[in-house]
Amino acid sequence: MLVVNYKTTARPGEWEGKQQDASQETCLYNKYRALGKKSVEIMTLKKLFAFCLLLLCQIMSAQSDSITKLKTVVVSDSNLKKYSTSQSVLKLNDSVINKNEALLTDLLNFNSTIYFKEYGRGMLSTVAFRGTTSSQTAVIWNGININSQMNGSTDFNTISGSDYNSVSVKAGGGSVIYGSGAVGGTVHLNNDLAFYNRFENNLKLDYGSFNTIGINYKTNISNKKWSTQIGFSKNSSTNDYKYLNQYTWKGEQRWNQNGQYDIITMSANLGYKFDTKNSLKLYSQTSNTDRNTSLITETETRSKYVNGFNRNLLEYDGDFGKLKTNFKTAYIFENYQYYADNSTDLYTFGKTESFIAKADLGYTLFKATQINGILDYNRTKGYGSGFGDNTREISSAALLVKQDFSKDWKNEFGIRKEFTDNYKSPVLFSLGSSYQFGKLYNLKLNLSRNFRIPTFNDLYWEEGGNPDLKPESSYQAEIGNVFTYKNISLTQTFYYIKITDLLRWVPGSNGIWTPQNTDKVNTYGTETLLSWKKQYGKNYFGANATYAYTVSKDIATDKQLFFVPFNKVTAAVSYSRSNISAYYQFLYNGFVYTQSDNDPNEIVDAYLVSNIGIDYDFKFLSSFKLGFQVLNLWNENYESLENRPMPGRNFNVYLNLKF
Amino acid sequence: MKLTRLFLVALSVSLFVSCSNDDDNNDPKGAYDNGFFILNEGNSGGGSVSFASDDLANFTSDVYKTANPTDVAGVYLQNIFFDGDKAYIIAGGSNVINVVNRYTFKLVAKVETGLINPRYGVVKDGKAYVTNANTYSYINPATGDTDDYIAVIDLATNKVESKIELGATANRILLENGKLYITEPYSSDKLLVVNPATKALETPVNLGYGADTMEVKDGILYILRKPNGERSEILKVKLSDKGTSKIVFPESLDGASNLDIYNDKIYYTVNKSVYAITTTATAASTAAIFTAAISAKGSIYGFAVNNDKIFVADGGDFGSNSKAYIYNLSGSLQKELTVGVGPNGFYFND
Repeated sequence: MLVVNYKTTARPGEWEGKQQDASQETCLYNKYRALGKKSVEIMTLKKLFAFCLLLLCQIMSAQSDSITKLKTVVVSDSNLKKYSTSQSVLKLNDSVINKNEALLTDLLNFNSTIYFKEYGRGMLSTVAFRGTTSSQTAVIWNGININSQMNGSTDFNTISGSDYNSVSVKAGGGSVIYGSGAVGGTVHLNNDLAFYNRFENNLKLDYGSFNTIGINYKTNISNKKWSTQIGFSKNSSTNDYKYLNQYTWKGEQRWNQNGQYDIITMSANLGYKFDTKNSLKLYSQTSNTDRNTSLITETETRSKYVNGFNRNLLEYDGDFGKLKTNFKTAYIFENYQYYADNSTDLYTFGKTESFIAKADLGYTLFKATQINGILDYNRTKGYGSGFGDNTREISSAALLVKQDFSKDWKNEFGIRKEFTDNYKSPVLFSLGSSYQFGKLYNLKLNLSRNFRIPTFNDLYWEEGGNPDLKPESSYQAEIGNVFTYKNISLTQTFYYIKITDLLRWVPGSNGIWTPQNTDKVNTYGTETLLSWKKQYGKNYFGANATYAYTVSKDIATDKQLFFVPFNKVTAAVSYSRSNISAYYQFLYNGFVYTQSDNDPNEIVDAYLVSNIGIDYDFKFLSSFKLGFQVLNLWNENYESLENRPMPGRNFNVYLNLKF
Repeated sequence: MKLTRLFLVALSVSLFVSCSNDDDNNDPKGAYDNGFFILNEGNSGGGSVSFASDDLANFTSDVYKTANPTDVAGVYLQNIFFDGDKAYIIAGGSNVINVVNRYTFKLVAKVETGLINPRYGVVKDGKAYVTNANTYSYINPATGDTDDYIAVIDLATNKVESKIELGATANRILLENGKLYITEPYSSDKLLVVNPATKALETPVNLGYGADTMEVKDGILYILRKPNGERSEILKVKLSDKGTSKIVFPESLDGASNLDIYNDKIYYTVNKSVYAITTTATAASTAAIFTAAISAKGSIYGFAVNNDKIFVADGGDFGSNSKAYIYNLSGSLQKELTVGVGPNGFYFND
């Protein structure tokens, strides 16, 4: 019988557990939706951890990070500071992260303009930055792009902020330096090694509602030659919160079933200075996230998503006066297993291994002009039940120039081109200028071309993968106005992004979904960052606020992209006096459309969530803080995604020890 | 006297009762009588059900939410079947069947256990027979293609009372003359035959892969089959002796779908066009009655012929509301309706 049973692996209706969401469309990678009339989709899970707070975030980039230079600190990503003078960088530093302890979703949700979409507390969490898609924000770990090779995005509920010394949010394009996905902006996770004599330990223990437990430990051991940093974090929750005012048809209280999560990460970073000119650093991190997936209805099959990564980066720095060299080699492994029914041990999976080599030669031409030439090679091998066995090689060359005409006028320029057999790669560039008018006002201009390359899922998914895809590409222009007056700083940025060849999975004529470079999107808006600090005697006050107005329109339909809010506001105030510190913060998320036709009945309503916290330092050891937090203080009944309620008022206590 | 009064009372009561019976027969039994439902599969947030009256004058875009504002019907709504004054809405992604009053759409009960990826259902003698895809072979290579079953649901209690294991894959189901007939296009090349009385599988009929929609008329089961990369065909199975014959379609009709028989005509669709042949025809028609106004990213996703009209639903892009179109039998457009996401079927409530 010669009848071909085409792809028996795919039967109507499968829910594949990928993190989708890759292109605006939420990406359903379903196969056979039309044929079998069933769809598949992805849902992934994520988790969040609710507490975080941050009071102290400093808002302006260039101005705020000079303090860290007091002691010899080797930053892991020197280009972040060097080539961002014409853009806005929000840095959440070590002390902030240590104080707030949380998965990245909450840290960034309450303190930046980035919009988050969460599939329930702690579940899959993806972003829209400046109105772009979840795969158009690149996450950079110590200078290396770590967005998933499989789906192109990063799940911010799988990352614990405490594993890093600083978390920076850079708005705007960055593909010249950071490659694929740096369209809306980049999030930088940095481990900075310090070379001075110290032995410090930091332990934070959290216990909160829904049996939420956090254990975070970090130790720094260093002298003038060696620096070691070892960290461990574990965040878990049974996450069985009640849905406010929701009852089943039988009248039973509804609650978050199947929302358990457990995230463990271990880090070890090591630096050695041979002499003043040569140093070697090794960064290593391993993580495993084991999460169930919250349900929309109680009767759904309970699924589970396990994912993890292992990252290793070896870096050599040579500083020979005018010539600076930086060589990196990295090995990055990521994998997932999706258990469609977590009562069985049957799963689908995907994994990729990337080998990266990068050479960065910097040369100071004149006193005011620096040039960096960067060569990059990346080989990724992917293997999975959904996309077979494929290898992709990408090389690239980039040239960066930084020219400081004067103390007040700084310019930067970059150009980059990738070479690969997989797709046609556009020439990327970035042009920027910053001019300081007196003490009060700093004007920044930036123009760039950025892109996002197709993922393994996009190219090779069986069935439906499309090997002929082009990268999504964008032009971006922005004007930044930075006002500084005494203790206040205000940054106002206007931007405009034109995105073409947006990838979207659409049903083909045979009913098989396939990605295509279909859409064009214009996105524009403003970002406002405000920070204020003041000391009255022994009383310290601080306030921070952000506001984003975002219009992101599909050019063909003139409709707002779904899951992009027009308005988002965050604000935090803090107070401290001797041993006590307290804060209050809130987040306002405007409504979002859930459908591309902007049906006004199909929206996720706006919500306003507030947290309050207080802690007391008993001053044992070098620090012994006991803290208490009330999250969702006003018991707001809200959802981040339709039919996926978030928890009402809940509590957390913590102990933060330094010794 | 007393007897007379009693008699008069009895008479008036009987008149009243008979009058009200008459009323019942004429008046709609609820807001959603005398019309049809459009089932919208929905996206990952859940599906919906739209309703239009037979005269196309009234339309409600989301009757389930209108009638049951605090309940979610579930994700990936797959099929509706009726019994008495109830409608049963299968949510494949939620393993649930919502039991509603078919005239008011008020939720009556849910069948919440015993279902795993339920697909389609039929009713016989107070019991529903619902195909369940169970696990899929791409996740469960060992038994994914042999573990499908029929859930037998007691409609008095709305509980799954037993299962009929099929040892194969199962999707569409049809009841005729006391027997259940089942097709599944991707992993099954057989027409399964089940006797619900004995819950026994009878000898299946070999069809080849790709057999999907089917309808019975005058003892003959017409099955439309579209094997991948091969010619489509209509298989005719004579149910009395399971003898088969077929009409092989020309290559230009590859991918034919949505067989529906109405008034001695077999309707089917290819891409965005609708075709028909008589039940006695020996060859396929390559002349479309009309080409439907399907969107660029869409396809014909739901289809039915009934009440002298042809109903076509555009699958759309599954990220926005889509359209249903109603044509007359000669293919001129009568009405366009904006329905929910992924409309996949029409169900007539008369």
